[in-house]
Amino acid sequence: MKPHLTNQAAGKGDLTDPKLAKTAEAEAIERAKQGDEAAFEVLYNLHKRRVYSLCLRMVSNPAQAEDLAQEAFLQLFRKVGTFRGESAFSTWLHRMTVNVVLMNLRKKGLPVVSLEETIETDEESPKKELGGPDLKLAGSLDRLQLQRAIEKLPPGYKTIFVLHDVEGFEHNEIATMVGCSIGNSKSQLHKARLKLRDYLKFMRAEKAEKQ
Amino acid sequence: MTCSEVQRVLPEMMDGAPNNELQAHLEKCPACSDLVAELELISIEAHQLVESNEPSPRVWLAIAAELRSEGLIRDPEAKPGRPVLVPTERRRWNAWWLVPVAAALLVAASYVGMRKPATQIAEKPAVVAPANAPDLAAQSNQQKPAPQVAETKRPVPIDRSLDEPSVSAPVQVVSTEDRQFLDDVGQRSPRMKAEFESQLRAVNSYIRDAEAYLKQNPGDEDARQHVMAAYEQKAMLYQMALNHIQ
Ligand SMILES: [Zn+2]
Repeated sequence: MKPHLTNQAAGKGDLTDPKLAKTAEAEAIERAKQGDEAAFEVLYNLHKRRVYSLCLRMVSNPAQAEDLAQEAFLQLFRKVGTFRGESAFSTWLHRMTVNVVLMNLRKKGLPVVSLEETIETDEESPKKELGGPDLKLAGSLDRLQLQRAIEKLPPGYKTIFVLHDVEGFEHNEIATMVGCSIGNSKSQLHKARLKLRDYLKFMRAEKAEKQ
Repeated sequence: MTCSEVQRVLPEMMDGAPNNELQAHLEKCPACSDLVAELELISIEAHQLVESNEPSPRVWLAIAAELRSEGLIRDPEAKPGRPVLVPTERRRWNAWWLVPVAAALLVAASYVGMRKPATQIAEKPAVVAPANAPDLAAQSNQQKPAPQVAETKRPVPIDRSLDEPSVSAPVQVVSTEDRQFLDDVGQRSPRMKAEFESQLRAVNSYIRDAEAYLKQNPGDEDARQHVMAAYEQKAMLYQMALNHIQ
């Protein structure tokens, strides 16, 4: 139903023309192998927003997100000498970032996959009561509100939602990275979206009350 | 298809191929079609966040510093006058510096290992702030931090004895301040004094080597770092001895 971007298409950097960006990236990779600082910086600038935003979505703490972004870039740059081919660099970086973040969550004992999922509940009937005409999420969403709503998601739901809907990973990729079943990934994504919908409606109602 | 059936199949079908039964229900049920439309809107808008935030400049600075220290960023030719943080070629043969560092750390760890987990000790050198390295190193040339530690914290009596000393260090001269502190320690425990003295000699010889190298290579950042590390080890040694006899 939703036209999903592949990771590669979604992996554009600061350079607006994707072809130019790709060429700049391929050149930078070769120069980085020679120890050229400017080349490393080009690679960093091409991907910093994507990598940092991913970390920030997942941990909701700017300082910690910066540490994780730094770690992800370092891990990748250390392997730049072994890198061959030009197209997979961003995919490689984004996967590495996910690994760094997930590793960090696991170290802290935070659930990467929601625990609620193991006990199958069949609540969630259509929430007609929230669907009042003035509370419809029609048109475009407020980006800041959406960010805040994602921050409020329980860690497990957040992981799947960010990886699928924000980053554009497929369920089979997520299942491998996170260590859950594809079905689990799908159902958690759905529950995450439902929760976000509730949060957003609640935020709208709150805002409407204030005005 | 009923509303509750829609609820059940939605997680599977939302992002999958179009399904006729589902479509038929959505066309005649506003509640379900609103739900699906809103979930799709959330999903689409979420993707706009993919590059929404910019990291602070400190991230690149930290990455560049680390890449340089690991030798992944190399200067094409070291420019004169500009301090080269880590000259990769020199660093290689410079590795002998690490031998006394490692030895001193091992000695220090085994020394306090009787009382504290060695990992706590091993973590201590991480306190070094690379940005301040030249200043600290310059300071340490004039005023030696270790004896100051001894002055601020007076040793108190100890009522337990130590295990056999296991390390013998090369014989080196010990300064007057060191001698004073050694005597203090000796009053509490003669065996501990022997242990402490051998470690003190090792760290002093490391300090002298590092200082001699810095004299030969003024402006060498590596050399400065080593001087600083050596003094830090000495301070640690004093601190550990104090902790031990208190
Ligand atoms: Zn319905």
